[in-house]
Amino acid sequence: MKEAVIPAGTNLSALYRSLGADYPKFFKMDTLSKLGFLLAEMLVGEEDGRFGQREDRAVLVFSREGCIADDLHYAQSMKDFPSPALFVYTLPNIVAGEIAIRNKFAGETGAYVIDGFDGELIRELSSLAFQDKTTREILVAWIDCPSDSSWNAKAWLCNEAQINEIKAFTI
Amino acid sequence: MTKVHVIGRSVLTPIGNCPAGVMEAVRKGESALSLHPGFPEPYFASLLERDGFEGSSFFTYIATKVAREAALEAKIDCSSLRTGLILSTIKADIQKLGNADVSPIVPAAEIARSLGITSKPIVVSNACISGLAAMIQGMRLIKAGTFDNVIVVGAELQDRFIVTGFQSLKALSPKACKPFDKDREGLNLGEAAAAVVLSNREGEWELVDGAIRNDANHISGPSRTGEGSYNALKALPLPEDLAFVNVHGTATLYNDEMEAVALGRAGLENLPVSALKGTLGHTMGAAGILESIISMEALDAGIILPTRGFKNCGVSVPLNISALERAAKGNSFVKLLSGFGGINGAMLLRKGGSK
Amino acid sequence: MNELINELKLKLIEALNLEGMTPDDIPNDAPLFGEGGLGLDSIDVLELIVLLEKNYGIRLATPQEGKNVFKSVAVMADYVAANRTK
Repeated sequence: MKEAVIPAGTNLSALYRSLGADYPKFFKMDTLSKLGFLLAEMLVGEEDGRFGQREDRAVLVFSREGCIADDLHYAQSMKDFPSPALFVYTLPNIVAGEIAIRNKFAGETGAYVIDGFDGELIRELSSLAFQDKTTREILVAWIDCPSDSSWNAKAWLCNEAQINEIKAFTI
Repeated sequence: MTKVHVIGRSVLTPIGNCPAGVMEAVRKGESALSLHPGFPEPYFASLLERDGFEGSSFFTYIATKVAREAALEAKIDCSSLRTGLILSTIKADIQKLGNADVSPIVPAAEIARSLGITSKPIVVSNACISGLAAMIQGMRLIKAGTFDNVIVVGAELQDRFIVTGFQSLKALSPKACKPFDKDREGLNLGEAAAAVVLSNREGEWELVDGAIRNDANHISGPSRTGEGSYNALKALPLPEDLAFVNVHGTATLYNDEMEAVALGRAGLENLPVSALKGTLGHTMGAAGILESIISMEALDAGIILPTRGFKNCGVSVPLNISALERAAKGNSFVKLLSGFGGINGAMLLRKGGSK
Repeated sequence: MNELINELKLKLIEALNLEGMTPDDIPNDAPLFGEGGLGLDSIDVLELIVLLEKNYGIRLATPQEGKNVFKSVAVMADYVAANRTK
């Protein structure tokens, strides 16, 4: 099972550049989506035949705080001129969508909110995606991002056999 | 494999607080859609009466109410570790932002406590398909053997945050919305709560299967080829006896066109279609559950519900849609939804599924 | 007019998070949307509508109206000069 971590406080623009991605939309994303985007780059950026549409890959993002950091930014803009570019990120599943769009993953995407990191629960809920027989691999992420400078971000790429081998995801 | 049945249903909407009552109201063409003072721009929406509610969270109150009613109807043991709870919502208690913990896990935990649920509650927040995604996840938890029963509850309230956001996206209709109509101008927001109990026990309705697919195209613009919606439909074991598709039908220019294209690609353009948002508004996190329940009630009554607001077809693939009630032929239906983040979902429900 | 064009370019870069771009990177007559342009999308159109209201007191009712105004920075500048209320 492949895994990737972005320690809190990492300079995300610098990380983006070091990964060699050419995707100007990255700079329009909220911090949550930037973290998801970069975790995915770290996991699949080196793959052969990248960017061919794949319906067999699901993206599942777990957190406790959802998209709270962007919620606060939007609420600030709402006081005078509500910003559509901030509003579209006030959904916890947009990060999964950004990963899918970047990588042409046309499979299942989803966002779950649970009461703090719980590796067993995340393993159990993620493994359910394999009941859809189209799904062969899942990119699972724990991205808890209460503010633009503090977060807990880790992601795993696994198939059904690999998820069945573990009892829990760990951070 | 285990079959999953719907053994309890409850709804709370501005036009009724029981499934049969809301279905009858839809049938008669009733709606609570009306103009409300905004922030400052006014907006057209279907809102619940607060009736002098004084508790700390109206959101938790309505979600708990429908969850409890559905559990009572299903006669399940909430305290068993074999009973799960899934909350479907997009913004939950967002109006408390800055003053309280607004994570949707807070109301989920509160609902669980009120009902005496002992398993860990989870929240599905998958934009406008949340309700459908939550029902699919509930179905899978039962098929996996984790739970015998899962209460799936969805709720959404409207406030300044959501209203000004949709206004900034220029997505709101200044009048009652017109799904699939050539003069459609956007969506109306709505408030509601709805709950189902899914179970491995026998029941009148079977949740046969569901699928979720991403367009992998754009975070706010639906795919012009209906990619994700078509792929989700294609993944379902569609039977011969399909009575209708209850579509998303937000009445935005792009959503309705996308759905028509997807249905056409799936070869379903001749199948009757109904949409409920011209009656109930877009109830977001509640929509998947609410619209599934009302569709079940309609098929129980042997009808395809009228699509309020529709007059002249305004999509490139002419759909079999009507502002009038029609007789239904068949015992199953598909529920279709799409949302921001490129997400699409389809679900198949069948009457008399246990036989 | 050149001053307004430069001002608009700076505001555009800031509002749309056009990382690493300077006003010199945006030709006055280059299309802002679609192929060969800045690659802006539907959310950018909406954000530009906010930019006009916030900075120049101009209110556009629909994104369709915006499509004509946001053809290029030069077209935008003409429109702002003729319609600004602040």
